[in-house]
Amino acid sequence: MSTEASEADILRPIHNTSKRYFMMLAACFVAIGIFGALWTYQLYHGLIVTALSDWGSGGGVTWGLYIGAFIWWVGIAHGGIILSAAVRLLGMERYKPVARLAELLTIAGLSVAGLYIIVHMGRPDRMVTSILLNYHETVHTSPLVWDVTVITLYFVMTATYLGLTLRYDIHRLRDQLPDHFGPLYDVMTLGYSEKEDEVIERMVWWLALGIIILAPLLLHGGVIPWLFALIPTMPGWFGAIQGPQFLTIALTSAISGVILVSYAFRKAYDWDHIIDDDLFRGLLLWLGFFALLFLWLQLQQLISGGFAAPTAQELTFESKMSHPAYIIPMVMVFLTLAYIFAQVLRPSLFSKERAVVAGVVVLIATLVEKVYFVVSGLMYPMFGLYRSVPGDYFPSVIEMSSVLGTIGIVTLFFLLVAKVIPVVELHAIEDHGHGDETEVEA
Amino acid sequence: MSTDDSTHTDDPLAALHTDEWEAEMEELLEETDHDTELGIEMAKDAQRLVAGQIDEEEFHAKYHEAVIDEFGVDDRPIDDAIDTVKEAGGDAAAALEAFEDDDGTDRRDAMKKFGVGAAALSLAGWATADAMDDEPQDQAAVAAAQEDDEDDLQWGMVIDLDKCDGCLACVVACEQENGTGDGENWMYVFAYEEEDQDDMNYLVRTCQMCSDAPCEKVCPTTARHTRSSDGLVLTDYDVCIGCRYCQVACPYGVNYFQWGEPETPMDEIDDNHTHDKRGQWVDSRPPRGVMGKCTMCPSRQDGNMGDDMVGTTACEDACSMDAIHFGNMEDPDSDPNQYLEQVREERASANELQDDDADEWADRPDHTASTFRLLEEIGTKPNVVFVGNEPSSDAEQVEGPVSYEDVGQVDNRKEALDDGTFAGGVTE
Ligand code: SF4
Ligand code: SF4
Ligand code: SF4
Repeated sequence: MSTEASEADILRPIHNTSKRYFMMLAACFVAIGIFGALWTYQLYHGLIVTALSDWGSGGGVTWGLYIGAFIWWVGIAHGGIILSAAVRLLGMERYKPVARLAELLTIAGLSVAGLYIIVHMGRPDRMVTSILLNYHETVHTSPLVWDVTVITLYFVMTATYLGLTLRYDIHRLRDQLPDHFGPLYDVMTLGYSEKEDEVIERMVWWLALGIIILAPLLLHGGVIPWLFALIPTMPGWFGAIQGPQFLTIALTSAISGVILVSYAFRKAYDWDHIIDDDLFRGLLLWLGFFALLFLWLQLQQLISGGFAAPTAQELTFESKMSHPAYIIPMVMVFLTLAYIFAQVLRPSLFSKERAVVAGVVVLIATLVEKVYFVVSGLMYPMFGLYRSVPGDYFPSVIEMSSVLGTIGIVTLFFLLVAKVIPVVELHAIEDHGHGDETEVEA
Repeated sequence: MSTDDSTHTDDPLAALHTDEWEAEMEELLEETDHDTELGIEMAKDAQRLVAGQIDEEEFHAKYHEAVIDEFGVDDRPIDDAIDTVKEAGGDAAAALEAFEDDDGTDRRDAMKKFGVGAAALSLAGWATADAMDDEPQDQAAVAAAQEDDEDDLQWGMVIDLDKCDGCLACVVACEQENGTGDGENWMYVFAYEEEDQDDMNYLVRTCQMCSDAPCEKVCPTTARHTRSSDGLVLTDYDVCIGCRYCQVACPYGVNYFQWGEPETPMDEIDDNHTHDKRGQWVDSRPPRGVMGKCTMCPSRQDGNMGDDMVGTTACEDACSMDAIHFGNMEDPDSDPNQYLEQVREERASANELQDDDADEWADRPDHTASTFRLLEEIGTKPNVVFVGNEPSSDAEQVEGPVSYEDVGQVDNRKEALDDGTFAGGVTE
């Protein structure tokens, strides 16, 4: 269905730099600059510049947008790597052109999630000494330490994964790659010989298997939700459903992220034949599938919270039924789902641009839902005698600027990386004739 | 548990295996969460080992499997323990010291750490060594152990809510003692009403000094910790990174973060009121970016402020209604426990007077005072006991007879904090 893609195609981002590229670059620097300035202000004055407060008599919430955005980015990152691992493991050839983009999204997402941990801290200067020096003790009981551990583990796994698969490409494309990055390429392909391809292939397969197995167990179905799900005195958080719920949110937001990134690259480098319409259709279907799961698990919580729940849990239910920060995201995801169903029934309703809109809608919805989740948990504690419970919270400008800043960082990351390495795998254009493999659609 | 094989008259250890010894062992081992029977059996054999009645191989052969079952590994602590006891060669103090941490963790803690094997051995080594050193009057060892138990210290409070009149003197006293800022209410007094009930109730809320503190469990840095010498849950202000997870995990909402520059500068804080006896900065308001909460006044308990302040807290001193009773919850003779007993007796006898026909209503229970610990069902093991009624889930906080503003305090901290929020807060 597509015209033959060539090596020149996938090298285009490295060789061609348009005016729009520089404009994007500038926009990123502005976004990062705004956040950087405001964060410096926060470092100078303390977290009092946020809209956070103590829960209880303090009339507010102690975790807010920073933690919400942290989970959001981790979700995008985890979903990204699950997607790419699934592509390798199940041989979903259609998605191979975007597998590396998903991996890069994971690296960038995990990095800014890590940044959020630092931004959130009262004493970021002590991160290393206080956490590392006591690690052997705290790792037994602190979910926050588990988080840091697993995020680091995933970062390493993803980087290894990316590094290994890049060796093949860089070796083959070496003479077409810019000389000024020569030393970098030399390091990346250190000791490469074509004989290793098979071994690497196998290693990558096992890594992918590890990621697929570990991700639901440990990551977005594990330690990240456990941060909340293990606190019995915050009924909005507590409970076994948070694991699966978080995982569905991670996957919906990650697929949305991949849709946006793929669209941007396709448009910028005329990759219509590499990242084709079918790929977007496929991604949309997966998005629909996970959005359905997402809503279904939300429904489970609403039913159990509304039927005959204990007082505190009932309050969280009532809040959900009335709070715009919960209702609007749910409606947004529902409408996206409705659109995805409709375009399956009437293919003429599909367009890439609409897929992009669906992605943006889902990303906004999941971010707002995450922040609401964090905040509402603290607002309706089991010990709710305090008059100022529920407190109130609306993120301050500084907190909001962090979202802008981190999006800027992730975008900048893509802009820079695309100049150094091929963001589409050689494999993806080598085994063409793709598109009609036995892939199960939701 | 049988002591059959140690009842031979020629067994010098027989005298050690008294009921008290077993009881004490059982109690200690129960705390280690491991198989008590196994521990006691091991302890006995360990004594034999040290006394030279059996050798190390025998001992290992006998317990290797059981220990694997219990712990998954037959780990070094056991070998270490044997070595230690041997090295001590009958010196009781040396054997025990080897199990003590540099920071002076007590024997119980050491035992918890090393698990049942070491626990059994340390106790056995110590008891046996005593028995061998001194004249066979080994009961002294057992008695000493019991005495040691009574030395256990767990600071806590009994608060009589029926006596509180909502004057907020304790709130003010705590603020002055610790230099906390507006709305940083380490001590917080709720005035609340119940449905279908006219009068006002109070709940006087400090940190509950939980024995199983969730705030400590979740802390990623060990900044939030329990002081082993007296069970106070404290925050090491030099270690805390301000992640606020302790605040999230605490069921009672007693933590107050230092969001900005503290209102009371460091030079206005008494030098005696910052570092505890271990030299850790845990008292008075925390510095910026660090978590604070009611400390139960360690500077007083450690004698930094004079011996007559030991066993008191600022809030207790300020309470003219005598509602707050601070002291050692482990000691039946302490002020809080005595108070509790007194209250129970008083109310029971008040009840007796009406019950002059006790024979006729023989099944009627002797009513005692209603006491409770906050949210006891969630298993945090709080060390604050309240006398009075527990607020129901319908309880509603109301304006008390004295407002926080009346006494120069701030109730809702967010109102104060919003002044610092960049581009304004949103408190209505
Ligand atoms: S805020 Fe400080 S004391 Fe509390 S959990 Fe975090 S590091 Fe520990
Ligand atoms: S009341 Fe809260 S802060 Fe105090 S020990 Fe218990 S869990 Fe920790
Ligand atoms: S015990 Fe000390 S720190 Fe706690 S409320 Fe009373 S005065 Fe304040």
